Amino acid sequence: MSVTLPQTCLDDPVTDFPAPEYLTIPEHCPTSRGRASVSGVEATDALLAARLAAGDDHALAEVFDRLGPAVYGAALRILGEGTAAQDVVQDVFVEFWSHPGRYDPAAGSLRTYLMVLGRHRAVDVVRSELRRVARQERAFRLTPGQPHLSPCEQVTAAAAARVVRDAVRLLPDSQRRVVELAYFEGLTCREVAVAAGIPEGTAKSRLRLALARLETVLDRQLLETP
Amino acid sequence: MTAARREPVVLLPDGLREHVLEAARQARAAGRPAPPAAEISPVEAFRRAADALDGLLCALSEDDWRRPALRGLDVQALIGHLIGVEDDVHRCLSGDPQVARADHIESTQPAAARQAGRPAAQTRAEWRRAAERTIELVQACGDMDAEVAVHGMRLPLGALLIARAFELWTHDNDIRTAAGLPASVPDASTLTLMTGLAARLLPHVAARTCPQTSVSVHLVLTGPGGGTWDIAIGQSSPEPPGICIITDTIGFCQLAANRIAPADLELHVTGDQSHAPGVLAASVLAAASALALD
Repeated sequence: MSVTLPQTCLDDPVTDFPAPEYLTIPEHCPTSRGRASVSGVEATDALLAARLAAGDDHALAEVFDRLGPAVYGAALRILGEGTAAQDVVQDVFVEFWSHPGRYDPAAGSLRTYLMVLGRHRAVDVVRSELRRVARQERAFRLTPGQPHLSPCEQVTAAAAARVVRDAVRLLPDSQRRVVELAYFEGLTCREVAVAAGIPEGTAKSRLRLALARLETVLDRQLLETP
Repeated sequence: MTAARREPVVLLPDGLREHVLEAARQARAAGRPAPPAAEISPVEAFRRAADALDGLLCALSEDDWRRPALRGLDVQALIGHLIGVEDDVHRCLSGDPQVARADHIESTQPAAARQAGRPAAQTRAEWRRAAERTIELVQACGDMDAEVAVHGMRLPLGALLIARAFELWTHDNDIRTAAGLPASVPDASTLTLMTGLAARLLPHVAARTCPQTSVSVHLVLTGPGGGTWDIAIGQSSPEPPGICIITDTIGFCQLAANRIAPADLELHVTGDQSHAPGVLAASVLAAASALALD
């Protein structure tokens, strides 16, 4: 059944409720012996997450003030570019605000959670940029009339590519070869198999293993980036 | 572990903080819990509370029915009290103005006394029929915004049903305590309605318990059924001091049901120290306990 309450508190945080005419309540104002921690909220990660889950945007601001610079710094080191790093920071905090339940205080600190989230987002950006550059290069080779990348785009792509290429070098030879063929030369899995002289299924499986390993290597490398 | 390494200090670009917070609020409005509880009607909340209490009553032994529960009433007399409340609600919904000012306890005393010596099953069946009759009358009325007056309260019908769900849950736990059973917790959907009602009533009660208090309260109730409310209490100051009160949903509901004292509540209070936030919070919590939604 459809029910219309007189404007819910969620819609309008400032209450607007008809005053109970006869509401019977004590005339005096009892004093409280409450165990309130008045000096400031003990900003434990679990409490902050619980406050976020309750829709407390003050808590989000507190988390941002505490950890925003660290997340931004981590993203900046990976991406080397401020605007993209700011986008990562926004993604991370909007994600945390939208789904606070995904953070499990028992699994680790909020700092670690947000930093890992930020690094993953930043690496995703790098990968996405690499794919975009690779597509553009392929398109350029196929259609010579296409314009070149701007100097800025070239610098960004080169920086991102350098990070990933360094990580790729750490792969075993067999895996590195399929990654290079697939991502740097733009071959399909079938073409990779032919070029490497291996069955297509093997090519796919090596590629899968390589990507999984690459992700680990990249993450560790990025974590350890000074 | 590498993640524990000290990160170099990085200054945030100007405006990033505001930009991020605004983007977050657009993704999920402040105040709304995540994940949100499924929305239910006040009728459904009342029905669920009645079903839960009925389930408890069915599980009680004859001895349990004789245990002291509240205000000198044993469990059976307490259910008699609830029969009396339902009767008054029926009279209210039938347009009887006499129940508007009737006292919640005194008015139901005869129904409570009438249960003495009756088989428990009869008491339970009579209460269950009375609760069902309430639902029938409410559904016949249909308008949840219709103003009703009973037991010293004038409020929308939907709010009355939520207050009744509050009461049934509270007495459910009174009986559980009497019988030595673990406490029950309403589902998140019902709790959401209960906390919303308590938050909305708070300024009206505070106006009577602490008329001199003027404060802007950022109330955060954590856990299922919780949420965040910005509540203006008092109007004597154009820019009242602000305080933030953080506590868990169930504790706050127990406080609003007058089953625990503010001192028993685990809570966090913040605010400008020059305005004595602890004192302001004490006034607000005292008002919450005066809600007496039991």
